[in-house]
Amino acid sequence: MTGDDTETDLTRPIEQLIRRGAIHRDVYCDPAVFDREMTHIFDRTWVFLAHESEIPSPGDYKTTTIGRHPVIVNRNDEGEIGAFINRCRHRGPTVCRNELGNAKFFRCPYHAWTYNNAGELVGVPMPQGYGADFDKSRLGLVHVARVASYAGFIFGSMSAHGPTLEDHLGGVRKFLDAYVATSPTGEIGVYKGYQKCVYSGNWKFQLENGVDPYHVGALHASAVTPEALAIYRQGKGAVIAMDGHGVTDHTDWGPMPVDASLSGGFNLVIFPNLIVLRSQIRTVRPIAVDRTEIITSVVKLKGVDEAVNLQRMRDQEFEFGAAGTFFADDLDIFERTQQGLNSSAVDWLEFSRGLDREEMRNGYMHGFMSDETQHRGMYANWMAMMTAATPGIAEAAE
Amino acid sequence: MADLRHDIETALYREAHLLDSGEFNAWYELFLPEAIYWVPAGSGDYDPNEHVSIIHDDMTMLKKRIDRLYSGHAYAQIPASRTHRAITNVEVEDEGDGVVNVRCVMMLVELARHRQTLYPARVTYRLHRAGDNWRIGYKKVSLLMSDEPLPAAAFLF
Repeated sequence: MTGDDTETDLTRPIEQLIRRGAIHRDVYCDPAVFDREMTHIFDRTWVFLAHESEIPSPGDYKTTTIGRHPVIVNRNDEGEIGAFINRCRHRGPTVCRNELGNAKFFRCPYHAWTYNNAGELVGVPMPQGYGADFDKSRLGLVHVARVASYAGFIFGSMSAHGPTLEDHLGGVRKFLDAYVATSPTGEIGVYKGYQKCVYSGNWKFQLENGVDPYHVGALHASAVTPEALAIYRQGKGAVIAMDGHGVTDHTDWGPMPVDASLSGGFNLVIFPNLIVLRSQIRTVRPIAVDRTEIITSVVKLKGVDEAVNLQRMRDQEFEFGAAGTFFADDLDIFERTQQGLNSSAVDWLEFSRGLDREEMRNGYMHGFMSDETQHRGMYANWMAMMTAATPGIAEAAE
Repeated sequence: MADLRHDIETALYREAHLLDSGEFNAWYELFLPEAIYWVPAGSGDYDPNEHVSIIHDDMTMLKKRIDRLYSGHAYAQIPASRTHRAITNVEVEDEGDGVVNVRCVMMLVELARHRQTLYPARVTYRLHRAGDNWRIGYKKVSLLMSDEPLPAAAFLF
């Protein structure tokens, strides 16, 4: 244990929050657990920032977050991808508050300190007021310590240390490869705009739900077709605990379908904030222990007929987003879950489904399609991160 | 023109009443078969074939959306949201041949999950005269919060 400040505020020690087949309600309700998730998970591991097609050209940028940090992810004049803390080094305002755009420079409106799109401080008004030891080269925007892409998905890590992105993704890489390979040219892009949702509940409800075939026939009884439901009921396919991420694999029914229908393919929950399924890239933004935002891009496949892509988007709009025939019920159940868990009358949630029938295959624990093997794998990863010593956040660009 | 404006306002109030009283099938009947019901995400000054929307339904989709609400399994709408909508700032542009373009401001208040949520919106319509009534050829609801994260919103705007 690390003995940092948040630990003393924990209602119950972290190690006691998970046991075989069960999770303690404090995991979702204790603000001190949330604080620790921000420092031990989001400040440390690889966090999804953007798809490369959101910032295709030199100077393009997107603003997002890593845990509690406002972040700019962009391309510099050479087209290289970087990410910076969106905070002026002088007094601290965000230097950019557009969601997307193109900029050679980021200028703080407060005192006009100006940074180029590589994050370097290039302009300070009336510099003669500063002493001889004032060194602009040490006052650039703070870099996110590591930025890397895999299959077009850009991730950032606040920690200079730890596994590489490829090691972090582990076995999920082959699913990301397969996702991109749905396009005949091997390239995907995203439509302009986002589906933006918010719920009053813990962020991990969404992670569980992104790989939870068990709920589809129940919660989504009003939206799912009988043909799609058969996938979840027939027992084919598998749920997989894969290097700390969650996978539901329905490729027994076929590869990821070009029309993004609920048939073959797979769902991925890439811990801690990325969900990839059907025609969507979902980003999970934890706001507070009981507040979460979901920002979703709609994927289009290069090399397929425009009508096919358009139908994918229409289906996505119909089923997901705040008004979606599937997702409205998910958002609502997340709020009901938080309300129930806020009661201290019951401490433990059941996560035991499939414990007695899961098995190791190809190095990963596999469960039946409706089981909770993938959730147990994510929470084992959660526990490992929450109890590990946390490398410090990189202080400044050097 | 005063009469036309009065006719249009009466039609808009009637539509609002149908939605606020949960008469969704009667509301659906106001639409022409080729109509579009659109709730843009973001400014809305875009081609909905190039940009994601909150809702972009043709009438087949809208019928499915409504049928789901009556299915008994649309859990986010059990109990159904209660809504009040005030329609104001009505502007009418007569195209002739029984077609008018309408702009108005809607102040929609939804009560759900013990919370009141305000959804101010600018609503634009293309309306077609059908005897004494008006049919909807196009309805676009541009929410003030269109680019903000929204809570579950399975009710009809």
